[in-house]
Amino acid sequence: MIGVELRKTFGRPRTWTTIAVLNALPVLVAVLLRVTDLAPRPGEGPPFLSAVLANGQLYPLAALAIVLPLFLPIAVAVVSGDAVAGEAQAGTLRYLLARPVGRTRLLVAKLVAVLAFVLVTVVVVAAVGWVVGQLLFDAQPVAAGTSVSGTSLTAEELAGRTLLAIGYVAVSMLGVAAFGLFFSTLTDSPLAAALGALAVLVTSSLLLTLDAASPIAPYLPTRYWLAFVDLFRDPVLWRDVVRGLALQGVYVGVLLAAAWANFTTKDVTS
Amino acid sequence: MSGHGRARRWAVVTALVAVLLSLPAVVGALPADDADVPAAELRDAVLASAGVAFSGYAVSAGGLSLPVSDQLPAVADLLSDRTALRVWWRGPDEHRVDVVGAAGETGVHVDPGGTWTWEFESATARRAAPAALALPAPPDLVPATLGRRLLSEAADAELSRTGARRVAGRDALGLRLVPAAPAASVARVDVWVDAGTGLPLAVEVVADGATVPALDTRFLDLDLTAPPADVVGFTPPPGARVLPGEDPEGLLREAADRELSPVRLPAELAGLARREVAGAPATVGVYGSGVTLLAVAPLPGRLAARLRPSLAAAPGAVSDEVGTRIDAGPLGLVLVEPPRSGAYLLVGTVTADALAEAAAALAGAPS
Repeated sequence: MIGVELRKTFGRPRTWTTIAVLNALPVLVAVLLRVTDLAPRPGEGPPFLSAVLANGQLYPLAALAIVLPLFLPIAVAVVSGDAVAGEAQAGTLRYLLARPVGRTRLLVAKLVAVLAFVLVTVVVVAAVGWVVGQLLFDAQPVAAGTSVSGTSLTAEELAGRTLLAIGYVAVSMLGVAAFGLFFSTLTDSPLAAALGALAVLVTSSLLLTLDAASPIAPYLPTRYWLAFVDLFRDPVLWRDVVRGLALQGVYVGVLLAAAWANFTTKDVTS
Repeated sequence: MSGHGRARRWAVVTALVAVLLSLPAVVGALPADDADVPAAELRDAVLASAGVAFSGYAVSAGGLSLPVSDQLPAVADLLSDRTALRVWWRGPDEHRVDVVGAAGETGVHVDPGGTWTWEFESATARRAAPAALALPAPPDLVPATLGRRLLSEAADAELSRTGARRVAGRDALGLRLVPAAPAASVARVDVWVDAGTGLPLAVEVVADGATVPALDTRFLDLDLTAPPADVVGFTPPPGARVLPGEDPEGLLREAADRELSPVRLPAELAGLARREVAGAPATVGVYGSGVTLLAVAPLPGRLAARLRPSLAAAPGAVSDEVGTRIDAGPLGLVLVEPPRSGAYLLVGTVTADALAEAAAALAGAPS
């Protein structure tokens, strides 16, 4: 069942179109940086972008930081919102459930397919970022990098931390995926489910800028998204990374439980 | 058939959510063990804690909006913003404090020979020699350092105990300082002290008439093992710009020597006695003690003329016969320009009345 869902997700042209569009923005930013040589002023713009002119090896991270706030969650919301509601809208959910498989298993298979999409997308963005960084910017000749704390990192350390960051960004998207999937079981409209997930994100991002919301800030789904920067401090600051992983885990657990509670007994009419 | 199942399933989900939501409240409500330690003894333990090694994560929230965001942006941010600090402390002359930002960090590495300041965004390392006087820097906001500084001149009669609470997962004993000086603009300073080591774990400074602290700094994580020396030390990475540090003493000397006729400052202002401060220029007078301090600096005419509009433009600025005055929490600042003598700048943690009294005394004093 999981294999069927995976094949369905990655067999669609629109999945790959989404990934291609996601990559267009970091590539455009890289070309503009290369042509104009105008890096953002230190402290402005996405993390790591001001440093890529000096070290192209950081471009995978800059690319992730560029798509992280908006593009990536939109793509995840659209794909996860489509998971169940898309079948309902296309009128195929009935036939899907007519097969001798439990609804819980269908839900899990859908979630795994969305997770696979998230992981593939993040890895592709990082890989394209790496290629673009190598082609357009000077790679540091000593093959080493500087941590955010000003210590030297070997090429292996830098690569290892980049892999951790890729994994962390992928996990950060799980909360969005879970919201999308839950809303997808509530409605027959994939658009409504995706917009619902996006509404949660916009609310969370907006509340984070508000001092009055600081008591609930640690529980907002986007609170620890930028904590991947902490992986490049020396020593690594695990505090927010660990909290971010736990928070995404809680959101996925609760929303998956809610989706299960709603979906396993839902009257499927379309 | 599904009515019961559905209700049961939603009950399970609701129970799960309720448990998760109540967890932070349950952890926060864990009681703290109080200990019967007299206030003066607790203060002595705090003052003796400079050698306690630790590493930790602290957050400071400041509400002091100073009108210096153009001239000293780092100082203005430090005192008015929420600042996250990572601290590695081996001793008073060997520690590291990083200000952690969303997209970078500023690290201050102190060793016996001086201070390295690393700024990631500009890839710049600055080296400064140890100085008697310095601008406020991130290490000053570490609860342990700030607590020791604020309690350093506290008299026994000004201190009292205020129960216990949990800070950074440790039992912290409350110590309250209420300054005795009538001129004080600080209503109270609450220091929460680690019962075992005497380290201040949290510090709250509350201004006269305020309900929220003007400055609130606390540890969120604390580990009492000594951090390794190579974490605390600093070597500029290849490719970094290495610059000499800023020199506040040079700035002070320059400001003090500039085109000033010699002034004689009184021995007492607003009921506060003048004190000696190592490294301060002779023309700058510092009055008071403990957390009630007033600094008086004569200003050259041109500097005063430049300062007046920027003070007057600050929110809440008052211009009257005394001068141009602003209040930033417990900190008061007034620019006095008497008609027949040079201008003075008065800054201190004193009430508006005390500032006005001091300003009037200076305006009337022969110069």
